[in-house]
Amino acid sequence: MNSLALNESAVWEILRQVYDPELACNIVDLGLVYRVTVENGRVHVQMTLTTPGCPMHESIRVGAERALLDLEGVQEAIVEVVWDPAWNPSMMTEAGREATGYTHF
Amino acid sequence: MVSFSGSPAVKPASTRLPLLFACTGLLALAAGVTCLTLRPDLLAEYHYNQHVVAVTHLMVLGWILTVVMGSMYQLVPVALEARLHSERLAAVQYLLHLVGFVGMVWMFWVWNMKQVGHFGSILAAGVGLFVYNIIRTLRHVPRWNVTATAVSAALVWITLTIVAGLSLATAKCVGDFESGAPQAGSVGTLLSALKSLAGTLARLDAISMMHAHAHLGAVGCFAVLIVGVSYKLVPMFTLSEVQNTPRAVLSVLLLNIGLAGSIPAMVWQSPWKLLFAVVMATGLVFFGWELRAILRARKRRVLDWGLRYFLTSLVMFLPVSLLGLILAWPGLTLNTFTGRLENLYGLLGFLGIITFAILGMLYKIIPFLVWFSCYSGLIGKTRVPTLSELYSTRLQAVGYWFYLAGMVATSVGILSAGEWNIRVGCGLLVVAVATMLINVVKMLSHFLHTSSPLPMTAQPRVSPQPI
Repeated sequence: MNSLALNESAVWEILRQVYDPELACNIVDLGLVYRVTVENGRVHVQMTLTTPGCPMHESIRVGAERALLDLEGVQEAIVEVVWDPAWNPSMMTEAGREATGYTHF
Repeated sequence: MVSFSGSPAVKPASTRLPLLFACTGLLALAAGVTCLTLRPDLLAEYHYNQHVVAVTHLMVLGWILTVVMGSMYQLVPVALEARLHSERLAAVQYLLHLVGFVGMVWMFWVWNMKQVGHFGSILAAGVGLFVYNIIRTLRHVPRWNVTATAVSAALVWITLTIVAGLSLATAKCVGDFESGAPQAGSVGTLLSALKSLAGTLARLDAISMMHAHAHLGAVGCFAVLIVGVSYKLVPMFTLSEVQNTPRAVLSVLLLNIGLAGSIPAMVWQSPWKLLFAVVMATGLVFFGWELRAILRARKRRVLDWGLRYFLTSLVMFLPVSLLGLILAWPGLTLNTFTGRLENLYGLLGFLGIITFAILGMLYKIIPFLVWFSCYSGLIGKTRVPTLSELYSTRLQAVGYWFYLAGMVATSVGILSAGEWNIRVGCGLLVVAVATMLINVVKMLSHFLHTSSPLPMTAQPRVSPQPI
């Protein structure tokens, strides 16, 4: 159980531990996580993937839920995959671009 | 923000079955290039003889078709977002395919065409199951696109290739029809139809028929598939997108139209063959144009080695198209030199484009299958390896350069009919295939010892591969 206090910052931080195994970068720095809400032990995350039909879809989504449930105080974790807006590489953080070797925009 | 309410999370088919197809195919490839190293004369002489036909079928059915079918069981659901219709059918098909191609290669080697027909029928039954399974899967594709069109076209061509192959085998057995065989009933009707077909085909030029059969498979099934899946996989792995959909569609259409016209032109040795070859080449020009645009728009600067294998194979469409146009020239006489050009055309087509492309994609497919089986359930719980940590990228790079060197040496050997050059070239190909096999063993070893959990704070060890 991760002992970080339950707030949005803690959720973003724990999601940095979920990696896309193809791109070798965590989902936060890849810019895949759109929105995080925390309310009474219930965490709701809206995220996307780099492409529809991504073979890692369920692995990453369930992995993110698993990581969230490891956070102290989380009673329910829902990770919803959305496709609007569509992901594009400009959503990556500088760390994400460096980690994956992407061009600058 | 709108959540995707369709079926975004397509559960992949069993990972073990595509792996079984891939490993079987790789063993056939290893056997094929080893055979060519031991018998370089097969590439130095004209290709119409039993041993060349046997090795070609080992490579095409045992290696290429096996991997293509296994990959389609995994890729079609992923690329087209539709669940595979039946894994059980796929497993049955694997057995039929294995028995069929091994028997066919053996019987080609000893030139027993009657048994080729029997084993070919077993293989055809498997291909029938495969086509049925994929068609049922395609019915559930949520968004029809150029890749789905190419996959559908490839299914038609593979069916025609198998029918043509069986018909050719039947034609070789025209003298074997028993005079005492049943004349009445459904069996009699079938035998009569077969005899009639065999008689018709036997009157056509055998080499032209063989060339038409080879083009049905190589272009219709494999080249069309490579072009079609490129429009999905290259953007996916380079973080880009198709830049001009009509151009992409046109490339697939022209390739198919050109092939449809060139097959009868080949069979009846018509001068129209050149026109249809130009149509196919034009389709490939559109393909190259679109691919260049996709790559120029890519956001992923670094191309990994798997993609380099794949993209290098696509570059080989250029010499193959040029050779194809030369060989389709009306009135071109068959002499020693043109015979060597035909051998080179076949080598570059089967080993330069198709095999190199498949090797590149296997470096995407096999790591994913292994990772999915071993680590998918651990993501978010512990630090899991990235896909490229499952194998040695250094060995992968070594394999790439050995493969290229092998292709160059073998090509020179074919043009000069130098058996020594061919032997060296094929030896280099053997080394390249060995690097792949070592990496596959390395990947499969994760089934035996899934890495012990690492702390969540650990970072992946990989860094972007340099250009």
